Amino acid sequence: MTAVIRAEGLTKFYGASRGISGLSLVVEPGEVFGFLGPNGAGKTTTIRLMLDLIRPTAGLLEVFGLDVRKQSVAVRSRAGYLPGDLHLYERLTPREYLRYVAALRGLEGLGEGEALSERFELELDRPIKALSKGNRQKVGLVQAFLHRPDLLLLDEPTAGLDPLVQQTFNELLREVVAEGRTVFLSSHILSEVQRLADRVAIIREGSLELVEAVETLRARAFVHVEATFAQSPPQEAFASLPGVRELERRGPVVLLALEGSADPLIKALARYEVLALDSHEADLEDVFLTLYREGSAGAS
Amino acid sequence: MRASVLTRTLRDKWRSFRWWCVGILAFVALYGSVFPSLHGNKSLDNLIKSYPQALKGFVGFGGNLDIGSGAGYLGTEVFSFWGPIVFLAAAIAAGAGAIAGEEERGTLDLLLSLPISRVRCLLEKLAALVCEVVALGIVLWLLLVIVSAVAGMGVSTANLAATTIALILLALMFGSLALAIGAATGRRALAIGLSATLAVAADVLNALAPLASWLDSAKLVSPFYYYSHSDTLRHGLNGTDALVLLAIGLVAACVAPIVFARRDLSTS
Ligand SMILES: Nc1ncnc2c1ncn2[C@@H]1O[C@H](COP(=O)(O)OP(=O)(O)OP(=O)(O)O)[C@@H](O)[C@H]1O
Ligand SMILES: [Mg+2]
Repeated sequence: MTAVIRAEGLTKFYGASRGISGLSLVVEPGEVFGFLGPNGAGKTTTIRLMLDLIRPTAGLLEVFGLDVRKQSVAVRSRAGYLPGDLHLYERLTPREYLRYVAALRGLEGLGEGEALSERFELELDRPIKALSKGNRQKVGLVQAFLHRPDLLLLDEPTAGLDPLVQQTFNELLREVVAEGRTVFLSSHILSEVQRLADRVAIIREGSLELVEAVETLRARAFVHVEATFAQSPPQEAFASLPGVRELERRGPVVLLALEGSADPLIKALARYEVLALDSHEADLEDVFLTLYREGSAGAS
Repeated sequence: MRASVLTRTLRDKWRSFRWWCVGILAFVALYGSVFPSLHGNKSLDNLIKSYPQALKGFVGFGGNLDIGSGAGYLGTEVFSFWGPIVFLAAAIAAGAGAIAGEEERGTLDLLLSLPISRVRCLLEKLAALVCEVVALGIVLWLLLVIVSAVAGMGVSTANLAATTIALILLALMFGSLALAIGAATGRRALAIGLSATLAVAADVLNALAPLASWLDSAKLVSPFYYYSHSDTLRHGLNGTDALVLLAIGLVAACVAPIVFARRDLSTS
């Protein structure tokens, strides 16, 4: 099967200023691909290149095996796009706007728009200028999905959505992927995509830092252990244990990070009087932040 | 009919179009009501006869400043004064708004993420511009036919049509220019400013030409020369002049999609 997105050495400079440089990645059909990075990393640049809204300085970019420059209309007819910086026609109502989008996509009525609006509980007949940020975002989402696209290019899709709507959105993505369609999703925050994405890429300062299956990333995750002692143990009590790092100490409360086997730590803890013990798996977010930091440490 | 960029743009214009019509109606009514007091006013005729020819050319239409006659009055007041101002303002605003306006508002990003080519998008916007200016022209023409009959101006319906067509072509020329500048740069204010400046410069150049012999051939580069010199209110449409205006407009209209298709769209 051909890749849905294939980029090789993709580079975009805005005049002298760097957008992305030498980006190579492949996105397979039916996967949710999380595209993560801090502000200004080049996420929006990459997505807008796929839609031929901006033109690459160098490199190859194919979507559905089509050249995004030469066959952009064909690419766009099969893709749905939610911009990171959403601007809608303020005077129209969502219904008028969605009808316009559907018509330009060759569909009757609102396409799937009506059903999607119902799911998102979007009011279709109030002017867009009267809508809240979250409701505008819903309009943006509905227009991206209304033609059942084979590929969804979503630039920070959950910005401004409340948790309930986010849940609806997550369900929708799962259905899309179950049908073999593909999602390319940018975000700043790993926790937002970790439950959805199959693979994530981390981009920093225009270059790919890593591409990894979420499962593999999760394996790198560590466990937080918070122990409350009757008396403060000595400073170096846990320092030399394998796979253990002491993160924080608040009087008799010690916070530790544990990687690998728990046995050495348990044995060490047993030497003191432990009043309470709490442990939970660290969020991928912590892994992510560690990677971010490693990256910037490496760069400087 | 299924919506397209053209029909959507026309619907959006309807609101402002009505106001342009109200403006045209008010002006035509005002001019029509003033005309009877000038008509056959001998002292006014004598006063104007004493003006130097250059001044007559500067404010008149087709080199005439015979505002006691219907054709002279309409030529001076309507077709060389507020007509070009109103029509050029409408056309330049519409042309600059077509691409650059949407781009600055940020709505172009989503529009061009849909499966329509940039060239098609631009051509539909251009078609909307043509529709708007032609519709304004038809409104002006109808009102002038009525006013001319009521106030006894004695200008033929055909010649009013001919002059309105010339005005439409002049406005479309500058409207296409504004559209092309906006499509090339994505900057609405620049498109308006540059087109309006060029329009004023072209008008001044044409008007000053009779005053200085060295300007006499320079006037040939001014679209206003082709618009005004053949006195269409008396002699009907001059085919060559109309073609020159059309040709300049078409050049702008052809350049616009080419430059637009080549560049990056900006985010607002
Ligand atoms: N039109 C432009 N002109 C000049 N530089 C630009 C332009 N657009 C983006 N850039 C630069 O390209 C880089 C990548 O920007 P991009 O918008 O792709 O980042 P991003 O990852 O989407 O960031 P954010 O998370 O803030 O949305 C940034 O350094 C930015 O300054
Ligand atoms: Mg962005």
